[in-house]
Amino acid sequence: MLLLVRSFDEWRAAARQLIVRRAPPESVQWTGQEEGGDLLSGAMPELPPQASQQPDVAPRVPRQLMEMLQSAACYRDPGRWAFLYRVLWRWHHGEQEILSMADEDGGRLQHMVKAVHHEVHDMHAYLRFRERPESAGAPRYVAWFEPAHDVLHEVALHFAKRMGRNSWLIATPEASVLWDGSTLHSTGPLMRSAADIDDPGEAMWLTYYRSIFNPARLNADIMHSHIRSRFWKNLPEAAVVPQMVSQAAAGARKVGQLDTVGKRKGATIPIAPEDAQPERQQPSTLDECRRCDLWQNATQAVGGQGARRAKVMLVGEQPGDQEDLAGKPFVGPAGELLDRAMDQAGMDRRKVYITNAVKHFKWEPRGKRRLHKTPGQREVMACHYWLETELEAIGPDVLVALGSTALKSIMQSGSVALKDHFGKPFQHEGRWVVATYHPSYALRVPSSEARAEALAAIVEALRTAKRLSEGGPPEDPMAA
Amino acid sequence: METIDKLEILADAAKYDASCASSGAPKRSSEGRDGIGATNGMGICHSYTPDGRCVSLLKILLTNFCAYDCQYCVNRRSSNVPRARFSVQEVVKLTVDFYLRNYIDGLFLSSGIIRSADYTMEQLVAVARELREVHQFRGYIHLKTIPDADAALIEAAGRYADRLSVNIELPTQNSIEQLAPEKSVHTIKLAMGNIRLKLDEKEAEPKAPVFAPAGQSTQMIVGADASDDQRILSTAETLYGSYKLKRVYYSAFSPIPQSPKSVPLAPPPLLREHRLYQADFLLRGYGFQVKELLPASGNLALDIDPKLAWALANREHFPMDLNRAELAMIARVPGIGLRNAKRIVELRRMRQVRYADLSRLRCSMKKIAPFIITADYSPARDTTPSETLRRAMADAPEQMPLWPELQAA
Repeated sequence: MLLLVRSFDEWRAAARQLIVRRAPPESVQWTGQEEGGDLLSGAMPELPPQASQQPDVAPRVPRQLMEMLQSAACYRDPGRWAFLYRVLWRWHHGEQEILSMADEDGGRLQHMVKAVHHEVHDMHAYLRFRERPESAGAPRYVAWFEPAHDVLHEVALHFAKRMGRNSWLIATPEASVLWDGSTLHSTGPLMRSAADIDDPGEAMWLTYYRSIFNPARLNADIMHSHIRSRFWKNLPEAAVVPQMVSQAAAGARKVGQLDTVGKRKGATIPIAPEDAQPERQQPSTLDECRRCDLWQNATQAVGGQGARRAKVMLVGEQPGDQEDLAGKPFVGPAGELLDRAMDQAGMDRRKVYITNAVKHFKWEPRGKRRLHKTPGQREVMACHYWLETELEAIGPDVLVALGSTALKSIMQSGSVALKDHFGKPFQHEGRWVVATYHPSYALRVPSSEARAEALAAIVEALRTAKRLSEGGPPEDPMAA
Repeated sequence: METIDKLEILADAAKYDASCASSGAPKRSSEGRDGIGATNGMGICHSYTPDGRCVSLLKILLTNFCAYDCQYCVNRRSSNVPRARFSVQEVVKLTVDFYLRNYIDGLFLSSGIIRSADYTMEQLVAVARELREVHQFRGYIHLKTIPDADAALIEAAGRYADRLSVNIELPTQNSIEQLAPEKSVHTIKLAMGNIRLKLDEKEAEPKAPVFAPAGQSTQMIVGADASDDQRILSTAETLYGSYKLKRVYYSAFSPIPQSPKSVPLAPPPLLREHRLYQADFLLRGYGFQVKELLPASGNLALDIDPKLAWALANREHFPMDLNRAELAMIARVPGIGLRNAKRIVELRRMRQVRYADLSRLRCSMKKIAPFIITADYSPARDTTPSETLRRAMADAPEQMPLWPELQAA
């Protein structure tokens, strides 16, 4: 049985019926060309009778495979329709490995698909329009291209998106498409060779192409490996490549500059170095802190923020990812939780001072993220200088240590444990200290009850701190 | 000066910037609309120059007048180069003309620092605004961000540009202080951080105005200072993590005319740049960390690629059973890329993976043979010393120049 198909849609209609009628691939011959004789055009020829005892099973083809078949249909190969039918047949009979490159047919299918995609890509990339004078009317832009596969239609859709209302024509040896600004028109071949149109605008492109090339990096093999040889003859820049290569090889490699640019008259800019310095805020001493190495991987040092004469100072551990970018303490998720806790404790964020024991963000790369890393005691001690400066400047009566790092910094001891002081206010160097969880602990604990408990503990600590700052007793008189 | 003369100077001055990609923009189309330009997220290289690098964007400087004196830069104020300055209109016209002829996917615009950081940034933004608002240009726009510019200007730039970039240029603070006296690592990091915060905001608030949808990138020059590959990659890793960069570009230092004494006279081997890109890809795509690729200070091997180097240094993971190993580990086998690793995992859902499958997947058999186990292939616990394997797999040694003094001249 001999079948004529001229498009993917015709093939699909025919293949569908053949599958239903259980016509094995060996029983069908396909052709894509009308060559006289007794070929049957499009119609279904003497299909084998349906096996009546079994119901029809139309092929169910996943989209991925259908797209592959459609692409492979653009591959110029006289055997393509027969091959596509064999693929469909095998799929229909449960041979799923047809999708794998490791299968022989699967490999060939993928190879065809890849070649077609490659051709589409190359035509997107290496097609060159030439502009015609406005007086010549439409089409304003004309291109000639010699594709190896039947990709013209798909490529035309790409240029319709790209060119807006400009009119253009793409001619190939087999067919042409014209875009009039709103509609695509397909015709047979209109030209026989590269567009014979003089476009003065091309001189700009050649100048750009020559200038953007860096002779110090001459590596023509890579260029040739990217642009396949059959495209070169229609690329305007091909004409200047040999000269560029030979000049670069002959000595321009020493410096990257283009020869013609080097020959022009140069100019140095008469400006005194001190006038060239951009105006910047003077870095604070904290910005310039090099007491430990944490500054290297951080964006900036994050100092404390809050009321100048706050009675309560909250001390956290260190800035996190968000704080590091924003330059303010407690603005990330932990900051939001702290705000909530302060609300519940009746504490006004504007009336307290919030800071961290360590001023630079310590982290470790984990993929494209920064994974918080607890600062070591050496870093805590190195940074204590800044906490001390803040304590002197603000002079709070009560410190809230949020987490163990804060407590260690306040006590200047690496051996002090949070559990020994947790929720029990004590005096240290003339100030009350209240120790509780760090807000991110309350974000991190797995169970929701534990999270609620942790938040409640933080709220309680803040209440205590507030009471102490107002001269109240360390224990809540209402608690009993 | 004619536009074409300016183009010659200002394209020549821009070619040292490695970045050229035009990928990552959201899909846009001009079909049946006023204006021109489309993006499909992929980006296209429209040509290659004889240095092997692609041309996908019109990459130029707005001007190469520059008040700064960065020693590695051909446009530094003390450099005796021809100077030129495009008008906003000229850049816009060039972009549109090139775009309509299908030479480019869009514009990559940078500039020397003139008058002030803010003034320079305003000019860059003016070009992008004119393209987008007057010409309704929907192609790709990449703007180089001047780190000292006002945050409001950077925000405006992000409204018009698909990608913003702030160049770190050198991997250490010390090198920047020495070679780029007017630059400041502090402001560079702040600018990158600022852009990341805006990107995060946009991500959290989909209805917020567009901001640099193709993200931000940066560039580092390799071989202008003494930093080794470990330093360079660690800096890259820090930048990726901190500022969610899409890419770090590495640009081998090109010797420049009338080079100052502070920078080397000779370029580093281009292969070093290539190895850095390979290593960078392992960081971004394969989940490697710098400390795995380079546990101690030093450079990447030039004779073998970084993944093979890692495998040879970590033989305890091999040979790896491809029918059992996790996807991420399969991708770590030298000669198996991410895509083939996925294909192997897909195939083994249907049946066992066999040795011949791998050659059909076009894996380099010579490279992977000592590192894998398949259903029908199992190298007896391979005891070949790594050094021997390395010699067998290294790129062919290059002939040393016979008369180096002649070739250097």
